[in-house]
Amino acid sequence: MTTFSTITLITEDELDLNDLVKQIVSSADGAVAMFTGLVRGVTRRDAPHETDYLEYEAYQPMAEAMMKQVADEIRAQWNTIEGIAIVQRIGRLYPCTPTVFIACASPHRDTDVFEAARYGIDRLKQIVPVWKKEIGPGGKEWVEGDYRPTALETKPHLIKA
Amino acid sequence: MKDITVLFFATLRDRANTGSFVMEIPAQTTVANLRDILEEKFLSFNELAKHSLVAVDREYVFDEFEIPSGAEVALFPAVSGG
Repeated sequence: MTTFSTITLITEDELDLNDLVKQIVSSADGAVAMFTGLVRGVTRRDAPHETDYLEYEAYQPMAEAMMKQVADEIRAQWNTIEGIAIVQRIGRLYPCTPTVFIACASPHRDTDVFEAARYGIDRLKQIVPVWKKEIGPGGKEWVEGDYRPTALETKPHLIKA
Repeated sequence: MKDITVLFFATLRDRANTGSFVMEIPAQTTVANLRDILEEKFLSFNELAKHSLVAVDREYVFDEFEIPSGAEVALFPAVSGG
Protein backbone atom coordinates (compact mmCIF):
# COMPACT_ATOMS: atom_id res chain seq x y z
CA MET A 1 0.00 0.00 0.00
CA THR A 2 1.24 3.46 -0.88
CA THR A 3 1.64 5.92 1.92
CA PHE A 4 0.95 9.52 1.02
CA SER A 5 2.84 12.55 2.27
CA THR A 6 1.37 14.43 5.19
CA ILE A 7 2.79 17.74 6.38
CA THR A 8 1.46 19.11 9.67
CA LEU A 9 3.44 22.06 10.88
CA ILE A 10 3.52 25.16 13.05
CA THR A 11 6.23 27.53 11.83
CA GLU A 12 7.50 31.06 12.31
CA ASP A 13 8.91 31.07 8.78
CA GLU A 14 7.32 32.54 5.68
CA LEU A 15 5.03 30.00 3.97
CA ASP A 16 6.51 28.81 0.69
CA LEU A 17 3.32 27.64 -1.02
CA ASN A 18 5.06 26.21 -4.11
CA ASP A 19 7.48 24.23 -2.01
CA LEU A 20 4.72 22.84 0.22
CA VAL A 21 2.80 21.64 -2.84
CA LYS A 22 5.94 20.05 -4.23
CA GLN A 23 6.38 18.15 -0.97
CA ILE A 24 2.95 16.48 -0.99
CA VAL A 25 2.43 15.48 -4.61
CA SER A 26 3.38 12.32 -6.47
CA SER A 27 3.43 11.47 -10.16
CA ALA A 28 -0.08 9.94 -9.88
CA ASP A 29 -1.60 13.30 -8.85
CA GLY A 30 -3.32 15.61 -11.31
CA ALA A 31 -5.05 18.03 -8.92
CA VAL A 32 -4.30 19.97 -5.77
CA ALA A 33 -6.91 22.13 -4.02
CA MET A 34 -5.28 24.81 -1.89
CA PHE A 35 -6.55 27.30 0.62
CA THR A 36 -4.53 30.06 2.16
CA GLY A 37 -5.76 32.55 4.75
CA LEU A 38 -4.42 36.11 4.97
CA VAL A 39 -4.22 38.81 7.60
CA ARG A 40 -7.08 41.13 6.65
CA GLY A 41 -6.15 44.77 7.18
CA VAL A 42 -9.60 46.20 6.53
CA THR A 43 -12.70 44.33 7.71
CA ARG A 44 -15.94 45.50 6.13
CA ARG A 45 -18.32 42.71 7.17
CA ASP A 46 -19.98 42.33 10.60
CA ALA A 47 -18.07 44.69 12.89
CA PRO A 48 -16.05 46.86 10.47
CA HIS A 49 -12.57 47.73 11.75
CA GLU A 50 -8.93 48.01 10.77
CA THR A 51 -6.06 45.74 11.77
CA ASP A 52 -2.39 46.76 11.98
CA TYR A 53 -1.12 43.23 12.57
CA LEU A 54 -1.89 39.93 14.29
CA GLU A 55 0.22 38.11 16.86
CA TYR A 56 -0.27 34.35 16.61
CA GLU A 57 0.69 31.84 19.25
CA ALA A 58 0.30 28.07 19.38
CA TYR A 59 0.49 25.20 21.81
CA GLN A 60 2.83 23.68 19.29
CA PRO A 61 3.01 19.95 20.15
CA MET A 62 -0.75 19.69 20.63
CA ALA A 63 -1.43 21.85 17.56
CA GLU A 64 0.64 19.54 15.36
CA ALA A 65 -1.08 16.47 16.89
CA MET A 66 -4.51 17.99 16.19
CA MET A 67 -3.44 18.81 12.60
CA LYS A 68 -2.61 15.11 12.17
CA GLN A 69 -6.09 14.32 13.48
CA VAL A 70 -7.59 16.69 10.88
CA ALA A 71 -5.57 14.95 8.13
CA ASP A 72 -6.80 11.56 9.39
CA GLU A 73 -10.40 12.82 9.38
CA ILE A 74 -9.99 14.04 5.77
CA ARG A 75 -8.67 10.67 4.62
CA ALA A 76 -11.42 8.83 6.54
CA GLN A 77 -14.06 10.83 4.62
CA TRP A 78 -12.48 10.97 1.17
CA ASN A 79 -10.37 7.99 0.18
CA THR A 80 -9.41 9.78 -3.05
CA ILE A 81 -7.22 12.26 -1.18
CA GLU A 82 -3.52 11.53 -1.35
CA GLY A 83 -0.98 14.09 -0.03
CA ILE A 84 -2.14 16.60 2.59
CA ALA A 85 -0.44 19.75 3.92
CA ILE A 86 -1.76 21.64 6.96
CA VAL A 87 0.52 24.50 8.00
CA GLN A 88 -0.02 27.44 10.35
CA ARG A 89 2.41 30.32 10.56
CA ILE A 90 2.75 32.02 13.97
CA GLY A 91 4.39 35.20 15.28
CA ARG A 92 3.68 38.78 14.20
CA LEU A 93 1.97 38.86 10.80
CA TYR A 94 0.93 41.91 8.77
CA PRO A 95 -1.96 42.42 6.30
CA CYS A 96 -1.76 40.49 3.01
CA THR A 97 0.51 37.86 4.55
CA PRO A 98 -0.50 34.18 4.19
CA THR A 99 -0.99 32.80 7.72
CA VAL A 100 -2.32 29.32 7.07
CA PHE A 101 -2.14 26.82 4.22
CA ILE A 102 -4.20 23.72 3.52
CA ALA A 103 -3.59 21.60 0.43
CA CYS A 104 -5.12 18.29 -0.63
CA ALA A 105 -3.78 16.34 -3.60
CA SER A 106 -5.64 13.80 -5.69
CA PRO A 107 -5.37 12.10 -9.11
CA HIS A 108 -8.30 14.16 -10.52
CA ARG A 109 -10.09 17.41 -9.73
CA ASP A 110 -13.55 15.78 -9.58
CA THR A 111 -12.70 13.68 -6.54
CA ASP A 112 -13.84 16.06 -3.78
CA VAL A 113 -10.45 17.79 -3.39
CA PHE A 114 -12.20 21.15 -2.95
CA GLU A 115 -14.48 19.79 -0.23
CA ALA A 116 -11.53 18.12 1.49
CA ALA A 117 -9.50 21.35 1.64
CA ARG A 118 -12.56 23.26 2.85
CA TYR A 119 -13.08 20.70 5.59
CA GLY A 120 -9.40 21.02 6.54
CA ILE A 121 -9.50 24.78 7.14
CA ASP A 122 -12.87 24.63 8.91
CA ARG A 123 -11.69 21.88 11.21
CA LEU A 124 -8.35 23.60 11.92
CA LYS A 125 -10.32 26.61 13.11
CA GLN A 126 -12.28 24.36 15.48
CA ILE A 127 -9.73 22.13 17.19
CA VAL A 128 -6.13 23.20 16.52
CA PRO A 129 -4.83 25.18 19.54
CA VAL A 130 -3.67 28.43 17.94
CA TRP A 131 -4.75 31.92 19.01
CA LYS A 132 -4.34 35.38 17.56
CA LYS A 133 -4.17 38.76 19.21
CA GLU A 134 -5.41 41.57 17.04
CA ILE A 135 -3.56 44.89 17.18
CA GLY A 136 -5.25 47.91 15.60
CA PRO A 137 -6.05 51.59 16.10
CA GLY A 138 -8.46 50.59 18.89
CA GLY A 139 -5.88 48.65 20.94
CA LYS A 140 -4.98 44.99 21.45
CA GLU A 141 -7.42 42.15 21.86
CA TRP A 142 -7.29 38.35 21.86
CA VAL A 143 -9.60 36.90 19.26
CA GLU A 144 -11.65 34.10 20.74
CA GLY A 145 -13.19 31.30 18.70
CA ASP A 146 -16.68 29.97 19.31
CA TYR A 147 -16.20 26.21 19.03
CA ARG A 148 -15.93 23.84 21.98
CA PRO A 149 -14.74 20.29 21.23
CA THR A 150 -17.09 17.69 22.65
CA ALA A 151 -16.43 14.37 24.34
CA LEU A 152 -17.89 12.64 21.28
CA GLU A 153 -15.03 13.70 19.05
CA THR A 154 -12.23 12.80 21.42
CA LYS A 155 -10.94 9.46 22.60
CA PRO A 156 -13.34 7.54 24.87
CA HIS A 157 -10.69 6.78 27.51
CA LEU A 158 -10.22 10.50 28.12
CA ILE A 159 -13.79 11.23 29.06
CA LYS A 160 -13.44 9.57 32.43
CA ALA A 161 -10.26 8.23 34.03
CA MET B 1 -0.70 14.74 46.49
CA LYS B 2 0.79 14.70 43.01
CA ASP B 3 2.74 17.11 40.81
CA ILE B 4 1.39 18.41 37.52
CA THR B 5 2.63 21.00 35.02
CA VAL B 6 0.09 23.69 34.17
CA LEU B 7 0.27 25.66 30.91
CA PHE B 8 -1.77 28.79 30.12
CA PHE B 9 -2.24 30.31 26.67
CA ALA B 10 -3.62 33.56 25.23
CA THR B 11 -5.93 35.46 27.61
CA LEU B 12 -5.22 33.12 30.53
CA ARG B 13 -1.46 33.58 30.26
CA ASP B 14 -1.82 37.37 30.09
CA ARG B 15 -4.13 37.48 33.12
CA ALA B 16 -2.03 35.08 35.20
CA ASN B 17 1.27 36.69 34.16
CA THR B 18 2.71 33.21 33.70
CA GLY B 19 2.53 30.58 30.99
CA SER B 20 3.88 27.55 32.79
CA PHE B 21 4.44 26.27 36.33
CA VAL B 22 4.47 23.10 38.39
CA MET B 23 1.94 22.62 41.17
CA GLU B 24 0.75 19.98 43.61
CA ILE B 25 -2.81 18.76 43.51
CA PRO B 26 -4.63 16.28 45.78
CA ALA B 27 -5.04 12.70 44.56
CA GLN B 28 -8.25 12.22 42.58
CA THR B 29 -8.43 15.84 41.42
CA THR B 30 -10.70 16.12 38.39
CA VAL B 31 -10.62 18.78 35.68
CA ALA B 32 -13.61 20.47 37.36
CA ASN B 33 -11.75 20.51 40.72
CA LEU B 34 -8.65 21.99 39.07
CA ARG B 35 -10.72 24.79 37.53
CA ASP B 36 -11.83 25.78 41.08
CA ILE B 37 -8.29 25.51 42.47
CA LEU B 38 -6.95 27.79 39.71
CA GLU B 39 -9.77 30.32 40.11
CA GLU B 40 -8.72 30.65 43.78
CA LYS B 41 -5.02 30.81 42.96
CA PHE B 42 -5.45 33.44 40.21
CA LEU B 43 -8.18 35.84 41.29
CA SER B 44 -7.58 37.88 38.12
CA PHE B 45 -9.13 35.01 36.12
CA ASN B 46 -12.60 36.01 37.16
CA GLU B 47 -14.07 32.72 35.81
CA LEU B 48 -11.70 32.37 32.83
CA ALA B 49 -10.47 28.99 34.09
CA LYS B 50 -14.05 27.88 34.66
CA HIS B 51 -14.92 28.37 31.00
CA SER B 52 -11.61 27.50 29.33
CA LEU B 53 -10.87 24.47 27.21
CA VAL B 54 -8.64 21.92 28.94
CA ALA B 55 -6.12 19.47 27.49
CA VAL B 56 -4.24 16.80 29.41
CA ASP B 57 -1.09 15.51 27.76
CA ARG B 58 -2.14 17.27 24.54
CA GLU B 59 -5.64 15.84 24.21
CA TYR B 60 -8.93 17.54 25.01
CA VAL B 61 -10.49 16.37 28.30
CA PHE B 62 -13.71 17.20 30.12
CA ASP B 63 -14.84 18.00 33.64
CA GLU B 64 -15.09 14.47 35.10
CA PHE B 65 -11.63 13.48 33.89
CA GLU B 66 -9.24 12.66 36.76
CA ILE B 67 -5.82 14.25 36.26
CA PRO B 68 -2.97 11.72 36.37
CA SER B 69 0.29 12.33 38.25
CA GLY B 70 2.90 14.10 36.14
CA ALA B 71 0.31 15.33 33.64
CA GLU B 72 0.81 18.37 31.40
CA VAL B 73 -2.44 20.28 31.82
CA ALA B 74 -3.15 23.15 29.43
CA LEU B 75 -5.95 25.70 29.83
CA PHE B 76 -6.88 28.03 26.99
CA PRO B 77 -9.75 29.91 25.32
CA ALA B 78 -11.65 28.58 22.31
CA VAL B 79 -9.10 28.50 19.50
CA SER B 80 -8.78 31.24 16.87
CA GLY B 81 -6.16 30.09 14.40
CA GLY B 82 -6.29 30.19 10.65
